[in-house]
Amino acid sequence: MLARIITGLSAGAAYALVAVGVVLIYKCTRALSIAQGEIGAFGFFIALRWAARGIPGLGWHPARVVTLLIALVVGAALGAAIERLVMRPLVGRPPLDALIATLGVALFLALLEKELFGTATQFAPSPVGEWKLVVLGATLTAPRIVALAFAAGVALAAYVFFSRTRFGLAVRATTGDPTVARLMGIPVNRVYRFAWVAAGALAGLAAALLGPAFGGLTPFAMTKFSLRALAGAVIGGLDSIWGAIVGSLLVGVLEAVVGGQFTTAGASELAVLVLVIATLVARPRGLLGAEGAS
Amino acid sequence: MPSRVASAIAVAVAVGGSLLLGNVKLSILVGVGVTAIAALGLDVLVARTGQLSLAHAAFLGVGAFTAINVGSRGAPWPVAILAAVIVTSAAAILTGLPSLRIRGLQIAITTLAFQEFAEEFLFSRNDVTAADRTLSRPSFLHSDVRLYLFALAALALVLLVRYRLSVTKAGRSFLAVRDIEDRARCFGVEPGQSKLLAYAISGAIVGLAGSVLALKAGSISAKDPFLLLESLQLVAIVVVGGAGSAAGIVTAAVLVKGLPQFSSTIPLTHLRAVRIVPIASAALLVVAIVAAPQGIGGLYRAVGRFLDRRLGARGRARPEPRPRPTDAVAAAHGAATLRLVPRPLPLRMPVPALLEAREVRVAYGGVTALDGVSLEVRRGEIVGLIGANGAGKSTFFNAVSGLAPVKGSIRYRGVELVGRAASSRSALGAARTFQDLGLLRAETVAENVLLAQTWLARYPAAAGIVGLGSALRTERELRRRAGLALELFGLGHLASERLGDLPYGTMRIVEIASAVAAGPDLLMLDEATAGLGPDESHALGDRFLAVRDELGLTLVVVEHHVPLIARVCDYAYCLESGVLIAEGKPDDVTAQPQVVESFLGRADAATGRGLG
Amino acid sequence: MSAASVTEAETLLEVEGLCSGYGSLQVLFDVSLDVRVGEMVALMGSNGAGKTTVLRAITGLLRRSAGRVRLAGDDVTGAPTESLVARGVALVPEGRGMLRDLTVAENLELGAYAVRDRAAIVEASARAYATFPILAERKHQKAGRLSGGQQQMLAVARGLMSNPRLLLVDEASLGLSPIMTETVFDLIADVRRTAGVAVLIVEQNAAALDLADRAFVLEKGQVVDRAEGDAVRNMQGRLREAYLGRPTPEIER
Repeated sequence: MLARIITGLSAGAAYALVAVGVVLIYKCTRALSIAQGEIGAFGFFIALRWAARGIPGLGWHPARVVTLLIALVVGAALGAAIERLVMRPLVGRPPLDALIATLGVALFLALLEKELFGTATQFAPSPVGEWKLVVLGATLTAPRIVALAFAAGVALAAYVFFSRTRFGLAVRATTGDPTVARLMGIPVNRVYRFAWVAAGALAGLAAALLGPAFGGLTPFAMTKFSLRALAGAVIGGLDSIWGAIVGSLLVGVLEAVVGGQFTTAGASELAVLVLVIATLVARPRGLLGAEGAS
Repeated sequence: MPSRVASAIAVAVAVGGSLLLGNVKLSILVGVGVTAIAALGLDVLVARTGQLSLAHAAFLGVGAFTAINVGSRGAPWPVAILAAVIVTSAAAILTGLPSLRIRGLQIAITTLAFQEFAEEFLFSRNDVTAADRTLSRPSFLHSDVRLYLFALAALALVLLVRYRLSVTKAGRSFLAVRDIEDRARCFGVEPGQSKLLAYAISGAIVGLAGSVLALKAGSISAKDPFLLLESLQLVAIVVVGGAGSAAGIVTAAVLVKGLPQFSSTIPLTHLRAVRIVPIASAALLVVAIVAAPQGIGGLYRAVGRFLDRRLGARGRARPEPRPRPTDAVAAAHGAATLRLVPRPLPLRMPVPALLEAREVRVAYGGVTALDGVSLEVRRGEIVGLIGANGAGKSTFFNAVSGLAPVKGSIRYRGVELVGRAASSRSALGAARTFQDLGLLRAETVAENVLLAQTWLARYPAAAGIVGLGSALRTERELRRRAGLALELFGLGHLASERLGDLPYGTMRIVEIASAVAAGPDLLMLDEATAGLGPDESHALGDRFLAVRDELGLTLVVVEHHVPLIARVCDYAYCLESGVLIAEGKPDDVTAQPQVVESFLGRADAATGRGLG
Repeated sequence: MSAASVTEAETLLEVEGLCSGYGSLQVLFDVSLDVRVGEMVALMGSNGAGKTTVLRAITGLLRRSAGRVRLAGDDVTGAPTESLVARGVALVPEGRGMLRDLTVAENLELGAYAVRDRAAIVEASARAYATFPILAERKHQKAGRLSGGQQQMLAVARGLMSNPRLLLVDEASLGLSPIMTETVFDLIADVRRTAGVAVLIVEQNAAALDLADRAFVLEKGQVVDRAEGDAVRNMQGRLREAYLGRPTPEIER
């Protein structure tokens, strides 16, 4: 059982990377993005393609570990492009429109992946090697351990960023009141772009770790993972970065425990569904969300 | 009208032409029809109620598999279809339950979770998918042509249901929930009930689509048509087609689902349709939501307007968007019938106070907006409520309407309001307007006045959708009342105008007319003159008096424009920081030092030095 | 008034023919006013007169349909709100615009966001804590926990952090007791004297007239009266009329 919990935590850590991005975007722009999974997946697909066939124009085949970096960079670039082209024009429109737009982006990216990379599961060699560690009875592969490390790192980085940096203060001001932020001279559009770029980078990172951890990457697979992340974000409270992390870990553990206990297909999906509904009905603001947040 | 004729011809040609196609193509069209019906079902949730569902493909599967399960066990086909409709409706309601507690976007995640659950769990179980059973088609549907006509009939039924929705209280409530959720309670709308009804209807429609699919296929072994990709494509069809537009959505369904199957390449190009169309629809979805939210439906409407302008017999002149002077006596006489409404409780008409507030306290998270306010409104009075910004005037209205947490007592005609649901106010006879217009700007004036009378539409939603006599009679009566109320304020000629197109001042008067249409005894008006020029304000003051004199209503009026209060009110209360600081005849109140100080902020202003 | 110039004090803010509103509702009709370097101008009006709308239109938070805004001669009509601090304009918003989850110190730091020079920020903080001792006591408290008056002071202090040449104050007296209002007004007047900041104070409360060099009266979106120097002190009656209407003459009762 403990082993399952540890395994679940490692998956939850990867979900947390995506969830932090979702919450960051939500806090800054009040838009809910369901495209994060596919943004990350696209980044990693490109990285794998370049590793296999070489970067077009350069002919250089990046080493495996570099694929992680490429996924991160492509994810970030994609995030910036989406923010500028799709989300910026939607500022001031009802939040439902922004949600539908991210849905369109997710669909577009997934289908594009299908076109470019085929529907077969892409063999995804782990960017961080093949080593394993045994922790409290659970055998964790390299991507999972790195995911845990990164999740911890992101949590720490978020803490330092928000409480001690100038730009972090600017982001906090924008999430509190964009109008006041503007009056203070904060370039609010830059804050929006930052949220999407950071979220895209985190998504790319998550895809590069989740793909290998789960045996490969398929179009739409990351959307399934991003559902776990979204569930984690909602359970934790959509306006709390800590909530995103805690909620995702919870989802990961629940998944692993239920999946281990019951062999019927879809048992863990049912558990996640029940947890999401129960949380939204009993405590709509989530575990760590602020009062009146929903 | 030319546009109507053109659409009728277009539909006839499309349907007639399709019947000339071969069996294979007709079979494809049945599949397209299934998608169109499912999309129309999703549209009820998205366009009408503002809820996004990512599970509609899963619901389609639920419907199809239920029909196969029930039908293959010997039940006659109508029973199979009914079972599919009911089960899918129930699944949709279940998925939509959290929408009662949460606002907005998070419901999309719940539906996503259901979609995953259905894919991984439900559709993997043989007892659900009835993989080893077959639903045999009833004999009258054996030919492809017959099945196609059956699908068309189902589509027509769904279009009829959508039409009925739009002309009954259910459909109006859905729109209210989407745009003005909380305030709609003041009209008698119950947002929770409306949301669940919307999920139920949406689910039922998709269940019907599923059963048509079941009849077509007989047995479904693969779950491909019910996967997340399909759910997302349904959203794309709704958005590209144009939320709310049946014609647009059906067209989008034909393009997205039909085109790749009809021709392997996109016409005029070498592109493989089956690969390009899905990705193009995704791209179009993004483009549409950002730049062209009206979608294909908007295109159709624009063509229709063009035809009307070019070929229409008479150009329709835009009516003057301001109130017209009406025969006041006649209008008032007719409008007097507006007061003849049933009340849910035996209400006394106590003398002298119609409304009695005692020690009313309203506090929101640490801020006390009203701190022990006691006041009284007598029957037939026009009472003014004045005070500086933040004094608590609108909060008092919210307290009476049930939109704020209240401690203390507010008795209306002897009935204690505190603790009662906000949706009861309309029925009890207390109506109000809002400082920033609590109406639907995207709908017509008439629709808004009908919405305000929701509490009077006392028929079950189902009766409205089916079109039972009692529902039709009630709707006719509501429309008659709406006409009278609009006439009373000189707005009859604007009934078919879109509210948002009217000037601000006119919109405010529409709001007052809507409140009067609900047949209240007490009318609370929140800053009715905001945004009106001096002449319009004066005219509005006259209407207040007319409404009180001719209709016998009692008014409470919140105003910043104090001269209006002086002219029109019998009694006035002045609030400051949540506390009552003066009351009396308006001129007395405005002369009192603490009132002058409250407005000007200076103790010696009371001496009135330097009257200019 | 600026002591350095021998000639008439120069115009710092010039608003000309401003028209603005929300959607189909026009609120401002051809509003014109000006503020000279170092002076205090009061814009008075009752609720719904459009006072806040004027400030929103000036600071770019609201679209103008007509009119120009000039800052020290530069045309800033349509300039993005974010650029104002760099131009030396700070707004103390209506309702204070407190970022409740940030501490007092963080709110002040925010006011100096556009200031690059670290030393200048430190100096500005010291000045703020000296002028508003109550804030120094509560440096690390979350702004949401302060009382209304303290929040108002924090909002003013925050506005001063960027060393602006023009301070716009929107209804600072809102929700404050008379004593607190007087304290805040006095502080603003002090700051103006010592730092030479020009102030446009938008108010309903007539106490602001005591501090102002010049005053404008706004009613239903139009400037209906203006006064300068001593005449400002005598505007009480005009204001009362604008807010409460003419009192009914005795004989009619």
